Amino acid sequence: MKYQSIIVEDLQVAAEFLKKFCEKSGVIDVVQHFLNAEDALKFLKDNVVDLIFLDVEMPGASGFELLDQLVYAPQVILTTSKTEYAYNAFQYNVTDYLKKPFTYQRFLEAIQKVSKKSEQASGSSEQDHLFIKSDGKLIRLHNDDILFIESMGDYVKFITPAKKYITHNTIKNLETKVNPQVFMKVHRSYIVNFTKINDIQENVLFINGNMIPISKTHKSGVMQKINII
Amino acid sequence: MHNTENKIMFAFSEELDTAFLHDLYGDDLQQAEMVFESSAQQIKTEIVLAQAKFHDGDLQGLKKVIHKMKPLFGYIGINEVMEEFAAFEKICLEEQAAANLEQQFQYILITTQQSLLKAEKELKRLKQFNTQYL
Repeated sequence: MKYQSIIVEDLQVAAEFLKKFCEKSGVIDVVQHFLNAEDALKFLKDNVVDLIFLDVEMPGASGFELLDQLVYAPQVILTTSKTEYAYNAFQYNVTDYLKKPFTYQRFLEAIQKVSKKSEQASGSSEQDHLFIKSDGKLIRLHNDDILFIESMGDYVKFITPAKKYITHNTIKNLETKVNPQVFMKVHRSYIVNFTKINDIQENVLFINGNMIPISKTHKSGVMQKINII
Repeated sequence: MHNTENKIMFAFSEELDTAFLHDLYGDDLQQAEMVFESSAQQIKTEIVLAQAKFHDGDLQGLKKVIHKMKPLFGYIGINEVMEEFAAFEKICLEEQAAANLEQQFQYILITTQQSLLKAEKELKRLKQFNTQYL
């Protein structure tokens, strides 16, 4: 399998270097290189990639700001010359963190992580349920029972028709764990079960009488995914 | 200059981080030449920009330029300068007035010039080697 990737990097030398490594690896296709986050976001609105090589500090929006606005969750390898971003990298659940300049050996290690994560994700996408820890118990929730997931700071609320479950987690983390065939992030605070949407009006959608906002950045992704006749 | 197969090898200059450069480029000396050339060129461009930012008293802007320049020294095997740039980048964040950084900035300018001399010397060696043996 070849991973479709983009490079978001304002340092031309670093981007060329990385392109060469991708080519040498034989498993990464670099679809495009962007010098800033804004141009990359425009591209990502209409195109899906498996992997983003992402610099953090660039002119304009930062790499983390780009991740905040993505409507889906490709794998991300941060490429930066600072080690101070390690905590943020963990928060954003990035696959790896490469400090520039990095060797080909280190690059290959990162690609192995991508491959491993990709295998795990393909396994989880076939799952029809997930387990959450709530009230000291591990509870199995079938995808079909979950209407939507709402952020509550360091906690999230799973809404089912019968009950609400609160568990210690974040929307950002769950984004990569839930089945993308069924769930979609529509707002920084909401992931919804796509099959449960009753109607959409402007920038809100309704599920079982619950009104859920759709953020401006996620709107096009939502509209692409629904089946409009 | 020879490896075990009696093939002529290029040895990076001792004044650079030879082990790191070897890890970075392996046998691909054409890439090394290209990266040395681009890095040196970009350092020259960026240092002019850094001087302009410093003279304008724009420490935020100066910090950004310094941040961008930092890894370029790594690609040419001068890792200690990368660390010096990292330290200066932090100072730019903490200081309020460019005038307080005059001495440190002069040091950055001198270090950059010295690094450029090393990079260009190595680039010349790489070009000669690549022309002769590749």
